[in-house]
This record gives sequence, C-alpha cells and structure tokens, in this order.
Amino acid sequence: MKNLFLLIVTILLSKSLFAQEFEFFEPKATIGGYGELHYNNEKIGSSPSKSIWDFHRFVLFFGYSWSEKWSFKSEVELEHNFVKNGQGELELEQAYVNYHHSDLLGFNVGIILPSIGLINEFHEPPLFFGTERPVYHNLIIPTTWFGSGASIYGNYNGFDYRLTLFETLNSDKFSLSQGIRPGRMKGYKTDASRFLYSVKLDYLNFPGLKVGGSLSFNNAKGDSTNIDVTISEVHAKYDANNIIAVFEFGNINYNSGELKASRGYYFDLGYNVASIFNLSTKIIPFIRYSDINTAAETLSGGDNEKLYHFTEWMIGLNIKPFEQVVFKIDYSEQTRKLDDRKSKFINFGVGYMF
Amino acid sequence: MKKMTLLFLLLSFTVFPQDIKDKVNQALKNCFGNNIQFEIEKVRIEKNIKNDIEKTVGQKFFSEEIYFYKIFENKSIIGFALLDNVYGKSLPITFMVMFDLNGKIICSDIIKYREPYGGAVQSKEWNSQFKGKDAQSEFIVGKDVSSISGATISVNSVTKGIKKLTLLIKWLMK
Repeated sequence: MKNLFLLIVTILLSKSLFAQEFEFFEPKATIGGYGELHYNNEKIGSSPSKSIWDFHRFVLFFGYSWSEKWSFKSEVELEHNFVKNGQGELELEQAYVNYHHSDLLGFNVGIILPSIGLINEFHEPPLFFGTERPVYHNLIIPTTWFGSGASIYGNYNGFDYRLTLFETLNSDKFSLSQGIRPGRMKGYKTDASRFLYSVKLDYLNFPGLKVGGSLSFNNAKGDSTNIDVTISEVHAKYDANNIIAVFEFGNINYNSGELKASRGYYFDLGYNVASIFNLSTKIIPFIRYSDINTAAETLSGGDNEKLYHFTEWMIGLNIKPFEQVVFKIDYSEQTRKLDDRKSKFINFGVGYMF
Repeated sequence: MKKMTLLFLLLSFTVFPQDIKDKVNQALKNCFGNNIQFEIEKVRIEKNIKNDIEKTVGQKFFSEEIYFYKIFENKSIIGFALLDNVYGKSLPITFMVMFDLNGKIICSDIIKYREPYGGAVQSKEWNSQFKGKDAQSEFIVGKDVSSISGATISVNSVTKGIKKLTLLIKWLMK
C-alpha cells in the first residue's frame, strides 16, 4: 500500500514537473490601441479651400486568452472624437472568440473584419502611407469593413488562407459615387437570410513580400433591390531593403441596377532615406498614383461612367521615430475625367499604435 | 516495485505533449546535424546584465530565466542555443537561436506560435536572414531585417528578441 502511494506521488510529481517545463503560457488580458490626429485642407475645383482638425480615430483593443488555443479579441472605436446629432461614430469594430488549433487551422466567430484588400485587417496608421487611408480603401474596398461573421484560417507552406462567412450588404444603399461603401451594415441588425462568402489566399514565403488576392460573392438585398455583387481584388506589398512598394487592384460587378461595375487601383513607392545616414528614425518619402472609378460601368453609360472617374497623384513623407509612431504629411491632386476638374489636398497628422 | 515506478515515470514522460521539446530537438538537429549531444541548463540572468540588455534593445525579457543549450559533437563543444519567448500581440512566441562559438547566429527558429495573425514569422525564409548576425548587427526591420505585411507586431517583437539573445550569449559564453 505504501509502495502504491509512493508510485502515485511519483507519477503526479513527474507529470507536474514535466508540465511546468516549457510551459510558457499564462491566461492573460491584453490592452492595445491606435489613434490618429489629422489636419485636412481641401480645395475642390474652383471653390474656396477649407481646412479642419480631426482626431479621426481613437481605438482601444482588449483581448483575453483563456488558453493557448482559446482567446477573445475586441476593438472599440470612437471616430471624430465626439458623438452627437449624427456626427462622429462609436463602433464595435471587432469582438470575436478565436480558436487557434494549429498553424493549419483556426476559426473565429463574432464581429470580424473580412479579409479583403491589404488594409482592412491591418489598418493602424504606422502601416500605410498617407495621412488618410488610400482613397482606394475608401471607395473601392471600403475600410474598415466590419460586421457579424465567422472565418476559418490557416497557413500551409507560406500560403495564408482565410474563408469567411460574413453578413450581407444592403443593396438599396449602393451608389454611383461610393460603390458598395454605404451598403455596409456594420453588425447592426443585419438581414440574416443571406451571407457574403469570401476566400482569400496570400503567399508570404518570399522575404519582405506579401502577394495574393481575394474573391467574394454576395446576393445583396435591401427593401427594394436585390443585386448579386462579386468583389475580386489582387494585392502585393514589399517591405525590405529600405524599400516599401504597394499595389492593389479591385473590381466589383453588380448584376442589376444602374451600377454595373466599380473599379480602381493604386500603387505606392517609398524609400527610407534615413538609412543612407544610418539614422534609426525612418524617413520615408513616397509617391502614390491612384485611378478610381466607382461607376466604371453603368446601364446608361455616357457621362455617368466619367463623373466618378478620377486619377490622383500624391507625394508625401512618413517619419517614424520608431515602428509604433508615425508623423505624416502629404499633398495630392485629383483630376476628374469628365471635365478635368482639379481638387487639391494637403494633409498632415500623427498616428500611433501599441 | 522500483522497476514499476521507473516504468511509470518513463511512461508519464512520453504520454505528455512534448511538442515544444520535440521541436527544440528537431531545430537543434536541423541546425547542427544529427550526431549531436546537448546539455540544457535553466540560467537565471544576472540583474545588471538583464537591465543593460533590456535598455539597449528596448524590450523586456519574458522571464528572469532562460534555457541555455550547449551543443557537443564527439564530446567537443561546437555551439550554443538559447530558447526564449517574446510577446506577440497578446500571446507568447517561443523561439530559439543557435550560435557558433563566436556568438554569431547560425540558425533561428520559431518553436511555437500561438496568435491567429502574423504566423508568417515562422517561415524558414524569414528566419534565414538572421544567419551571420551577431551583437554588432543592426536588427532594423525594413533595413537589414525584412518586414512581413500583416505580421508587423510579431516581426518587431521577434527581431528584438533575437537581438537580445545575441547580447546575452556574449555574457553566457564567458
């Protein structure tokens, strides 16, 4: 009996000792966040210029990990610093339970971000050029795009995949000037009778490069319309050897209504000149060219396809004293295709993430 | 009964999930070859050394202790390895750095990644760029270390973690 007792104690001891070895995980709450203050000056055509200060986004991240596999992640966002009379927004941008089984397979459920375009999931200010997000991410792939949904994800041999089942768009809200952007339901009592289906694939095994694309389909519905929407986009980003280059192209097809297709692309090219002088602060001048047309194809054609078509040149500077803080300044000029109307923008700001 | 105890002891070791231990063994063999033996020591990092390194790199150590491996081939020492952790966005990333006898990195490997995003830091291609670096190297993401779009936090965290170990190995080799 004594021996048996000794045996059990020995087993238990050895197990607990061994379990402690290499056991690095502890249940833990994490906070984080990001934010950005902007100065925006715009001169549209011949109208007088106007300028504003805008604390555009203040975001708090909160997460909790129950185990190595089960965790919760969330992001709450206050836009424009104030909510009153339809001005400003308070949003729950992410709130999901995540199960990370292995590199090959995980899933999440809750308020999530569909994996469409480079910036939607990775939208913190130090991660992109320009004070404001690229106009492509306003009008072609609306960013931040969040809502109720679930996704399965994983990585195999450098291929990163994500399959997403996401809330529907409201087709009544689609517009020639903004494409699908106004149709986002933002997790607010969305019609549960239909979904947006999305698949994304990226290749990441070439150092510094991310290249991939996504394809999404939604039979979108509103009170008075029902439109099939197909969103396809490709993207690439290179960040190594002091060079940052970005390219994205997106196309949206609509199967009924006046709007038939929205289309756009942009590319960025920047170089960290501080490396020449061996400074640790990154000083990155960049150029951007965008071509955007939210009404690239319409039922009636003609001027309707030119009114919302514009090109944009931007030059700017991102200064990063360290990776999580960025100071930005940029100048851009947009030319409307219909009448060559020029609009000019000067923006600067500061952004952070932690 | 003693034999039984020993048997159970062995069994209980093998029954337990040993993914980290297995991956460490595999990483060491991949780096130094199959004919190696090694000793493991859990080393407590001296307080002033710890503070100095943390200040230089701008990242705290995960804990006060670190796993220090001495690698032998035919009974003579051929290298060292350190097993440590850094925090990603919210979970620890377990990684290992293998050094030659001069403290130069021969290999680096992510042993366990637990986050839903940023898993690309595990790629062999990304890790291979640390080969040849030592305490004098820059370790600047975007310059001598390439970034990974979508894995910014992990890339910065692991890069700093590796830099810390190149400074620590100098002290351990003494």
